[in-house]
Amino acid sequence: MAITRRQLFSGMAKAGVPAAIAVTVGTDVLQANEKLPVPSAAVGLLYDATICIGCKACVAACAEANDTAPDTRGDGLHQAPSDLNDLTRNVIKLYKPEDGSAFSYVKRQCMHCLDPACAAGCPFQALHKDPETGIVSWTAEKCIGCRYCTITCPYHIPRFQWAGFNPRVTKCELCSQRLEKGLKPGCTSVCPTGAVMFGPRSVLLLDAKERIKNNPGRYYEDRVYGETDNGGTQALYLSRVPFEKLGLPELGPESVPAKTLRWQRRFYQYFALPAVLYAGLVQVIRKSLKGHEDEAHERERETGLRAQL
Amino acid sequence: MSTAITPIQSAPSKRWERNVPVYGFPVVNGFFLGLVALVLLAFILTGYRELAGLGPVSGMNDAFGWGIWKTFNVMVLTALGSGAFAVGIAAWVFRRKRMHSLMRMALLTSFLAYACGLLLLGIDAGRPWNFYWMVFPWKWNMHSPLAEVAICMSIYAMIPLAVENLPPLLERLWYFDSRLRPGVESIEKRLHYFFPWIIAAAYLLPGMHQSSLGALMLLAGERVHPLWQTPWLPLLYLGAASFMSFGCVAGTTMLCCLVWKRAMDMDVLEEAARITAWLIFGWLSLRLLDILFRGALGTAFHVDRFAGVFWLEMLLIAIGGWLLYQSSKSHNPQPMFIGYILSSAGGMIYRFSPTTLAFRPNPQALYFPATIEILVSLGFISLGVAGFLVAVKRLAILPAPLSEWHDMAAYFRFRRPYIRWTGYFKYGYYGENETETPGGD
Repeated sequence: MAITRRQLFSGMAKAGVPAAIAVTVGTDVLQANEKLPVPSAAVGLLYDATICIGCKACVAACAEANDTAPDTRGDGLHQAPSDLNDLTRNVIKLYKPEDGSAFSYVKRQCMHCLDPACAAGCPFQALHKDPETGIVSWTAEKCIGCRYCTITCPYHIPRFQWAGFNPRVTKCELCSQRLEKGLKPGCTSVCPTGAVMFGPRSVLLLDAKERIKNNPGRYYEDRVYGETDNGGTQALYLSRVPFEKLGLPELGPESVPAKTLRWQRRFYQYFALPAVLYAGLVQVIRKSLKGHEDEAHERERETGLRAQL
Repeated sequence: MSTAITPIQSAPSKRWERNVPVYGFPVVNGFFLGLVALVLLAFILTGYRELAGLGPVSGMNDAFGWGIWKTFNVMVLTALGSGAFAVGIAAWVFRRKRMHSLMRMALLTSFLAYACGLLLLGIDAGRPWNFYWMVFPWKWNMHSPLAEVAICMSIYAMIPLAVENLPPLLERLWYFDSRLRPGVESIEKRLHYFFPWIIAAAYLLPGMHQSSLGALMLLAGERVHPLWQTPWLPLLYLGAASFMSFGCVAGTTMLCCLVWKRAMDMDVLEEAARITAWLIFGWLSLRLLDILFRGALGTAFHVDRFAGVFWLEMLLIAIGGWLLYQSSKSHNPQPMFIGYILSSAGGMIYRFSPTTLAFRPNPQALYFPATIEILVSLGFISLGVAGFLVAVKRLAILPAPLSEWHDMAAYFRFRRPYIRWTGYFKYGYYGENETETPGGD
């Protein structure tokens, strides 16, 4: 018996249902990575809060390296930003508890996450993680200025420029223009105590673990923040005080996008589920439309008034 | 050719059988002029915003990167404007035939809510000239909820929703001049051929972006209060949009019936109220079970603003749902109307909370919209309301008993005789000439 066109289409649609379900359910298995892949030439920063003396030389060097005007909006005289902002990619902050227990400086800049939430949310890939160096950078030509990155970043790093008709998003890009010239990032080139260091992530991680081994009891939980936190970051932190006090939340070993967008990613994998749903809807609505039109024309004959569909 | 003349009934039926324009009321009145003034003011302020940037015109700051333009005009008002989705699914997919009489109201309110929301979304974007990336699908970030929302919403409002709103316009042209009829009829024929695909897209796309609006805040993680932050956020957002849009469509229809003294078809309204009530009960149980199983219920009993907002929205929605359920049995439109208002208000607070009321980027952060921000937001709401008023007075949107159509024909026949020659009712009096071929009289 020959297969009619209708049978062919409906057969294809019916075969599509299990296929779509398989794609939707199976996606997680395909993406179940125990650890996120680290970019081949991943570079990063190691910041040891126990060595930092809070001189803020890195803040000035950062502005100079990135050719941004010094942020003197605080007192009109000194470059003393209170937090990251549209002129500040790098800032030194102080954590000093009321009860007089251990205080600590903290340097805040982009963590260059292995799975960055800002890039996961960015609609047109304006925020992009370099596949080799792993540097997360911002492209002006792709950014629509939606400010979703300021909402998604768990470290609250990207900042939007609120004034002016041509606003930009400001975040640390590890001075990639200096790296190309063979220079170090601005902040690491001026640090007098070596509290912040630049290098390949793997080397920095070994160095950090070495410091923990050599100084037992000095570091909080004998742990490097960023080794696995939020799926791993390329900026690594050592600290005496709990990381949470320094604005580095305990996010667990799974990255924020992997944790929260799991189902979102499954549902839209290859657009399989929406496509099957659409085909089903068309069939149902076709039938409803036929019935509705028949009824409308029936009423048209009864009332003598033109059918309203 | 003669057609049967419908006899005038002694007690006119209240069944909604036909969509009839609101006739006998001028479009331009004091209220309308007020709306126009607000719209113009908003346009001027928008020009200022484009030059000065977002900072000087809004209360947004580094901690609260999103203000009411996104969180209210888009997140909340497109939920109210999901009638074309929720009422449409009831009518076309679940074949609740009575819901068809509400469809034109649903389509119109949806289109206006989405159009005004999208306009404001463009104004809210800091670098709107880069929206042209939307044309190149390979530049999209397919896994971003925001890309999903922006692309899906624009396509939905511009194609399926706009096309679904064409029939009332075509009908107006059909009545306007008999010479247009063959053209209009051929367009309608082609339109009906594509309707199943268009209508199906009109349910798939809002289903996707109304849930993705909830998925937006998933990435914000713990900065959204645990009473709201849940993996079920997309489904809860979609559910809230469903019952809120029933409230918006049926509630607006009831309000129009009150204002313009139209008969209310309690059969239709009761069915809509019943559907809304069950949607609300389902949504409330999902919400409560989710909070219970995540172990976040304790935070609802803290004395802080989060618990206050939580109980306010839950109570509003629950009382609204209960009123709707009762009124669907008692044939009383008054508690039904109040039920729609309460449940929709509760839903609006729910949709507003994760981005604003329950969003805690840091303990010191505060956001309150600036005056200009509020005026622009109001202006774009006024644009929608003004568009609605023009549409219901000029197009056959609002459902009414059949007698209303005949009354309208009589009204124009005697009060505006010149319309016989130029306008809508050239052929219309008691329908005697309605189906006559053009040029035959």
